Amino acid sequence: MSFFGFDNNRHNTGAIGFSQAHNPFAGLSSQQDDDGDALEFEETYDGLGDQLEETNDAFNDDTFGDSAGAVSGNAGQDFDFFGQTAKVSNVIEEEHFLFNRQQPPARAAQANNAQPSYQSYNQQAASSYGYPSQPQGSGSKAPGYSTGYEKYAELQADADLWGLAPKKQPQAPAPQASPAAPSPVPAAANAVPASRKVLSLEEVEAQMRAQSKSVQKQPAAPSPAPQAQAPPQVPYMDPAIQFAQPAQHQFSGPGDHHAQQAPVTILQRPQSKHAPSPQPPAQPPSQSPALQSQHQRQQSSVPVQPTQILQNPNRLSGDAARMGPQHSTPPVPGPFPPHPNHRHQGSFGRQAGVITHPSQLAQLSDEEKAAYMEQEAKRAKRNHKIFLMSRDNGIMTPQDKSFVTRIQLQQLVAATGNPNEHGTDESLAEDFYYQVHNQIQGGQRQHPSQPLNNFAQTYLFQTGSRQGGMRRHNRGPENHMQRMEQQVQRAVEAAKNKPKNKQLVIEGSLGKISFSNAKTPKPLLNIKRNDSSSDANRPGSAHRPITGGDRKSELRCIESVYTTLMKMEDHDRIMPPPPSSDNDTEAINNFMAWSSEAQALNQKLWTSLRIHDHPEPGYVHPFIAFLGYSKGKKAMVRIFRHLTQEQRTTILTLIVVNLDNLDVVRNAQVTPAAVQLNAAMRENVELFSVAVMSTLFNFLNELELDLVTGVLGLVCTRNVEIIVKSRIGASMITMILSRAEIIKHNGGGSEQSWRAWESTYTQFFDLIEPTLPQMFPGPVTSGDDVYVWQLLAALGIGAGPDQQQRLVLAVKDRVMDTVALSKTLPQDMGAQRLQNVNLFMRSIGLDVELLQ
Amino acid sequence: MLFFSFFKTLIDHEVTVELKNDIRIRGVLKSVDQYLNIKLDNIQVVEEIKYPHLSAVKNVFIRGSVVRYVHLPSNSVDVQLLEDATRREAANQAGKAK
Repeated sequence: MSFFGFDNNRHNTGAIGFSQAHNPFAGLSSQQDDDGDALEFEETYDGLGDQLEETNDAFNDDTFGDSAGAVSGNAGQDFDFFGQTAKVSNVIEEEHFLFNRQQPPARAAQANNAQPSYQSYNQQAASSYGYPSQPQGSGSKAPGYSTGYEKYAELQADADLWGLAPKKQPQAPAPQASPAAPSPVPAAANAVPASRKVLSLEEVEAQMRAQSKSVQKQPAAPSPAPQAQAPPQVPYMDPAIQFAQPAQHQFSGPGDHHAQQAPVTILQRPQSKHAPSPQPPAQPPSQSPALQSQHQRQQSSVPVQPTQILQNPNRLSGDAARMGPQHSTPPVPGPFPPHPNHRHQGSFGRQAGVITHPSQLAQLSDEEKAAYMEQEAKRAKRNHKIFLMSRDNGIMTPQDKSFVTRIQLQQLVAATGNPNEHGTDESLAEDFYYQVHNQIQGGQRQHPSQPLNNFAQTYLFQTGSRQGGMRRHNRGPENHMQRMEQQVQRAVEAAKNKPKNKQLVIEGSLGKISFSNAKTPKPLLNIKRNDSSSDANRPGSAHRPITGGDRKSELRCIESVYTTLMKMEDHDRIMPPPPSSDNDTEAINNFMAWSSEAQALNQKLWTSLRIHDHPEPGYVHPFIAFLGYSKGKKAMVRIFRHLTQEQRTTILTLIVVNLDNLDVVRNAQVTPAAVQLNAAMRENVELFSVAVMSTLFNFLNELELDLVTGVLGLVCTRNVEIIVKSRIGASMITMILSRAEIIKHNGGGSEQSWRAWESTYTQFFDLIEPTLPQMFPGPVTSGDDVYVWQLLAALGIGAGPDQQQRLVLAVKDRVMDTVALSKTLPQDMGAQRLQNVNLFMRSIGLDVELLQ
Repeated sequence: MLFFSFFKTLIDHEVTVELKNDIRIRGVLKSVDQYLNIKLDNIQVVEEIKYPHLSAVKNVFIRGSVVRYVHLPSNSVDVQLLEDATRREAANQAGKAK
């Protein structure tokens, strides 16, 4: 206030409720009673607190400990001053009214005159109302009892709160001595703060140390050491530094937000309040008094707890809670608790700084200062980072961690399936093509799901077994892994057993909602099968009466064959090892069970092939019809693998008997007149020779002579002309004849069987002889006649001299034409044709060379 | 899962993916998932003149739902196995439907 001539424009004196909070030493100098409940907060509160950043203030107690208790414990003096007055304000009002009636110019009189009677009355009232008297010495005041205008005095008298006490000191010496006296209002207002402010820095520090140990009344409160502290510092304070400081100390804990916020608010406050302030508006030349006061406090408290603050934010908050109320008095108790906390944080943010003494900074040049500040900012940033990270250190116990691991593993298992299942039927059913394809490819490429499985297995099983090894030493983790394994198993089991409700039908909805997951994406088509159609897929349907050449039923038969085949193949995979000895009854039993199952499947396959069905007259045999379809042809290789020798012979017999009924024979007849088979038939023939003929060829090459003779005899009963005029038929006969030759070459076969063969061969030769010239496909230029030359060669080897001559006569024209043609053809093609012819020529002891 | 299973075997083979907006992209199949989302590497648009904005693109991720066709390299498809896999799939579906 300018009443005393000191610079008062740094401070808003109108802000009583708030400004009192800034008396940094009040708490030291008085441990007051805390009749905060009597405070009429609404009257005193200037609303500044609403401008504060107060979000998260609810946690301040967590951060700083039970500061509310501390605050209320120490909140005394300032408010006591006001509060006690307020408490008796009604009485005062009454008295006032009474007094006014006696002395009309009451206010003026009160302002200008001491009112002993009133004062004494107040004191009486106070005591009668039970108010404790002030515990301080003479230096402190007992302000509440002086006048009815204490409220207003307080509203204007708090310049000291902004840290200007030392300056006031020389200018307002008088009122100190008479604090309780009803001095003029301004004087009283100034006197009170001034009396509080006359502490030297050293004294304050001493007080704080003393108080931090034991809460007690300090004796040094009224000590009138004048302006030892702030004024020398003020000129050196670089505003930039001051503004930078809050940023440096962000690491001060969870409340760092407030730490930043607080000084800003403080800085704003004087400006915003200058207008209503009764003070002259002249601004201080250098800086805000708020900062100054902050620095005073900072300076004073830094020696107390600097290092721990840096290292341990938790300690910091504890310290803040403990120290805050003592060195910077919380001004507004009760309804305004967050505010002190702000203050504490703010000041502590600064106190924690590395700039332990502003004078150090003052000696630096600007560049150095800038560099220093930058460095500090960096360091603080890093510290903050470290703090943020280290905050969570040890937040999870090992148990927690493994619990999370368990959950993750469960999800893994749920997503990828049980690693145990890989390679089993279940996974095969889901991923058949891929798995088998990879097996066929022979591991050219790494199994893409391998890493994942290995990963899961590593965690589920390998670690489990590894820890099983050190079971005795390490009980806990072992149990743990076991539990984890069990849990995973249970989870998998539960997921498997859970009724798979794939659809949700909400009442009243028009459709169904299907669920989907990673393994089974939502089916867009939901086709309800009726039982009759699915019935046909069952192998048992083969027993149904045959409807004849119905394409649909034939295809269905083929599918049932395939289904059975796949079952048999699956069954083969689980074949148990044959029992090693007769004693191993379990293995024997297993094997027997497997064998009987295989037997049943074989029977199923056999019936679904319908070998023994007898077609109605005019219809082809169902098995021959079966071979008419390409997928029927393709099935032959696999069918033969699962059949007994006897069954194979039966099939061979059946095919031979129906050789002229095969579509690839009957519909693929060759004519000498350049007939090209259509593409579909060529493909059929090709497929038949690859799929069926090769199978039969392999089988035939194991047959004995008697059976070969029998097969040839069967051929003789059919229409040989049709047979040999097809590529398949010719190849079949070539196979039969050459097999006999090989048996002869190897010296197999009895005399009797050879005699039977001879007769059969003769019979066959007689049958085939008329057709020999017509066997060749197309004219000589067509060139696709190598299989005919092979048949002729096979015939020639087994033929007697007489038969050989008949052979030569029958095909002589073709031989000569081919030799002639070969000369016109390019070298290699001609040679090829000649070689084909030579197959036949050599079989009868001739050579094409002789013809040229 | 048949298609997923099948396409997994085509990884690292060159395929041509025809999208529903008629763009055809040829590239090496790098990855496929159960939604038949496709990742292609070293891609080339078949009609590059028509879609110049794709000429600088080297790899793509294609959402499965926008694929119209995938042109397969026929020699890397095991037809018979695929047939069997289809039968198994059908049997599985039938089994699930019951």
